[in-house]
Amino acid sequence: MLNAALLKQTVRENAVLWTVLTGVQCLMVFSVAMNAPIAAAGVAYYNLLPGIFAGIYAITVGNRLICAKVDRGTLAYVLATPVRRRAVTTTQAAFFGGSLLAMCALGAAAHCAGAALSSFGLTGADVRTVLELNLGLFLLGWAFAGICFAASCVFNLTKHTIATGGGLVCAFLLLPIMAMFGQNYAFMRHLTIVSLYDVPAIMAHSAGWFWGLVALGMIGAAAGAAGSWAFTRRDLPL
Amino acid sequence: MEHAIEITGLTRDYGQGRGLFDVDLTVAPGEVFGLVGINGAGKTTMIRHLMGFLRSRRGRCRILGGDCWRQAAELKRHIGHIPGEIAFPDVKTGLDFLELQASYTALRDLARADDLAARFDLDVSAPLKRMSKGMKQKTAIVAAFMSGASVLLLDEGSTGLDPLMQKVFTGLVAEEKAKGRTVFMSSHMFDELEAVCDRVAFLKEGRIIEVARIAELGGNEAVKEYKIEFAAAEDYQAFLARRFDLTRRQDQFNQASVRIARADIGALFQALACLDVKFITQVPRTLAAHFAAKYHDTEGAHHA
Amino acid sequence: MGMSTQHPESDSAQGPRADSPTRLHTPVTPAPAAPPRAGGPRPAGAVIAVEHLTKDYGHGRGVFDASFEVGRGEVFGFVGPNGAGKTTAIRHLMGFSAPQSGRTSILGFDCWAQPSQIHSSVGYLPGEIALPEGLTGSQFIRFMQGLGGRADGARLAQLLDLFQLEPRGTTKRMSLGDKRKLAVVTAFMGDPEVLVLDEPSSGLDPIMQERFIEFLRQEKGRGKTILLSSHMFSEVQAVCDRVAVIKDGRIVSTVRVDDIRHSETKTYRIKFAALPDFGAFLTGGGIQVVFADQAEMTVEARVRDGDVKALIQSLAALRVADFQECKVTLEDHFFHLYARQPQEGRPWNTPSR
Repeated sequence: MLNAALLKQTVRENAVLWTVLTGVQCLMVFSVAMNAPIAAAGVAYYNLLPGIFAGIYAITVGNRLICAKVDRGTLAYVLATPVRRRAVTTTQAAFFGGSLLAMCALGAAAHCAGAALSSFGLTGADVRTVLELNLGLFLLGWAFAGICFAASCVFNLTKHTIATGGGLVCAFLLLPIMAMFGQNYAFMRHLTIVSLYDVPAIMAHSAGWFWGLVALGMIGAAAGAAGSWAFTRRDLPL
Repeated sequence: MEHAIEITGLTRDYGQGRGLFDVDLTVAPGEVFGLVGINGAGKTTMIRHLMGFLRSRRGRCRILGGDCWRQAAELKRHIGHIPGEIAFPDVKTGLDFLELQASYTALRDLARADDLAARFDLDVSAPLKRMSKGMKQKTAIVAAFMSGASVLLLDEGSTGLDPLMQKVFTGLVAEEKAKGRTVFMSSHMFDELEAVCDRVAFLKEGRIIEVARIAELGGNEAVKEYKIEFAAAEDYQAFLARRFDLTRRQDQFNQASVRIARADIGALFQALACLDVKFITQVPRTLAAHFAAKYHDTEGAHHA
Repeated sequence: MGMSTQHPESDSAQGPRADSPTRLHTPVTPAPAAPPRAGGPRPAGAVIAVEHLTKDYGHGRGVFDASFEVGRGEVFGFVGPNGAGKTTAIRHLMGFSAPQSGRTSILGFDCWAQPSQIHSSVGYLPGEIALPEGLTGSQFIRFMQGLGGRADGARLAQLLDLFQLEPRGTTKRMSLGDKRKLAVVTAFMGDPEVLVLDEPSSGLDPIMQERFIEFLRQEKGRGKTILLSSHMFSEVQAVCDRVAVIKDGRIVSTVRVDDIRHSETKTYRIKFAALPDFGAFLTGGGIQVVFADQAEMTVEARVRDGDVKALIQSLAALRVADFQECKVTLEDHFFHLYARQPQEGRPWNTPSR
């Protein structure tokens, strides 16, 4: 179902953005780990910044993977060959998921490396915490990616994709921040999927965080599958 | 397989009179079929249906017997395509692009692409971003023809080419036809269509209003028009008295234009034999004139 | 209204012309045109004058020693492949480039030294249209009116109507055809005396092309002087009085379109109904036969207008199945000038750079 030629081309097209975002993230988490123990740094760091990075990546790359190619018309060349539309969406989705996973894996590695080199040291429990945090981060990104990918599959114009997919992701990222402005806004925490990535619960090794992540995974998969389904059935202005 | 391309009852209503309405057409294997019409008449919509980019809501499109929507991917093994608007993917050079396209089609041998590029005097190693409109068009042409596809769907394939390259293009299409390939091409240029097409359909407001056979136009009409000038007014008057089908009179030049069917050519010469003819010239019916007449006929019908 | 060109014949006004070399075994295509008489009389009071213009961009590109004049009310065409120097010449006329040597002038003003004098009476349509971003069509029109200092609402409305242009949308979202129409409208809206048009009708659909050709004829009738470059032979043949063919930066031929259209020596393709008639025609003599195909019972005969009576009398006595004229077109003339030794397997290959 995957198309190797398309995958190679997609990797080439997105390599720069991925490298920059991943590199910056790794440097940040590395320096955080150097300066604070994992137990302390976890909540402060994972609650906000990486989610924003994942959001930026999902919005930009999500649009590029399908919609931008339709908007610019370059997809005509791919679909003028015996490549199925389903193969296009599957390949692009595989790249999306894979690149996010790699981003989070490298982030986890950088975190562990930073901790190991710091004066605080790195225990087996720490590694587990970091891996769980980054798994959650990956699934949050995965859900964002699914939403942006679905928008990318459905719309012909970049601006509509960015407005819809990007708008949702931004709203999800901003709502928890709004919720911090007092009791009256606290309900907003329940309106965002970001809450399904429960960083304090992961840090505290308390129960329940796992199912939130499962939900995120399912949101991403369902949105992506729905987008792909729509893409294979709709008219393309190529 | 009877038809290379078969469109039956294709209707696609975009509202406000735009779209395609009840289009029926067939293109035989080895035929070169042209499509003209004003912008927005539906040419690109038709080609998008054939490419499987649009799903037909009513009617159906088939290529080589396969359904253009359901078998879109399989059919692409046999289809070469030049899109109406050329936008290349993010690769550096023309060669990178051709190699990328070749990798999608699992085409290993780029010898034909090399040959085509040489014919079009195209430097494929040039960066796509710095290519002129003409070079981009040539690159798209090479990509469409390099795999040796048996059906070619060309949406204004030669725009931006200069007359010399235009000639290379029409030569290439003629060559593909000679190999038995089917070509379906839209164009704004009547000269080009006259040069290569077997038949040309004129599309107006989503409907085919006329299909012309090129072999029956451009001087080869069954009923031809001749313009004859006489040396003297008496001869001119004597000719007018013969009651041929006159299309135009220019008394000040002793000039008359007549329509004559093939079967009546003998009668024309017999009538002229005893008159003092200064010159006789044929007024060929061009594709442009043919369609312009049809176009204005239908305009009149609309307003009536 | 038709797309075909209709105009009074003026064949008899032409002087005699040497016969082109005899051609054999080219059944359908018309004979390669012998170069018709170049130039014709110099137009009185040239509006556009190019004298020995040279601009060498290296690698054989540029314009070399080009000279021509365009008279008042004349339509002058440029044909040639891309890179032959058409746009370079036009850029000099617009005062965008300084000549290396030679001189260009419009209405007596030097194009390089006094470009502002020229721009007020020249309408220009660039070949590559780059419209400023973020404007709507109407804003662009107003912007151009502001630059030109001319505004004629009635004419503008007329042009918009003629070319069916709705200038409300932003230029960025316009189709190529609409952009070209917008450029046509802005070039003509100030009703300038001189028009310099670089491939004006590329991107227009056939009906608009027809309308544009008709419009150019009217403007010519109003005494406008027009220089245009084009890739479309049919368009050039329909509107131009004279045409220059440019090859590698040099004007290799300037022809009067009428000379091509109304050649005094015509070639006819005659098909006979039966073999005896075919044979009788060939043995009859007196008529120059350039091609004969017995299987098809077809001949091609080259006849000067003065001798056409003999042809008619000979055909009146025979059974003729079909009678056609093989026309020589501007396109034939062009390709005759551009003809090269065909290379192996690549009949139309041009030399690689």
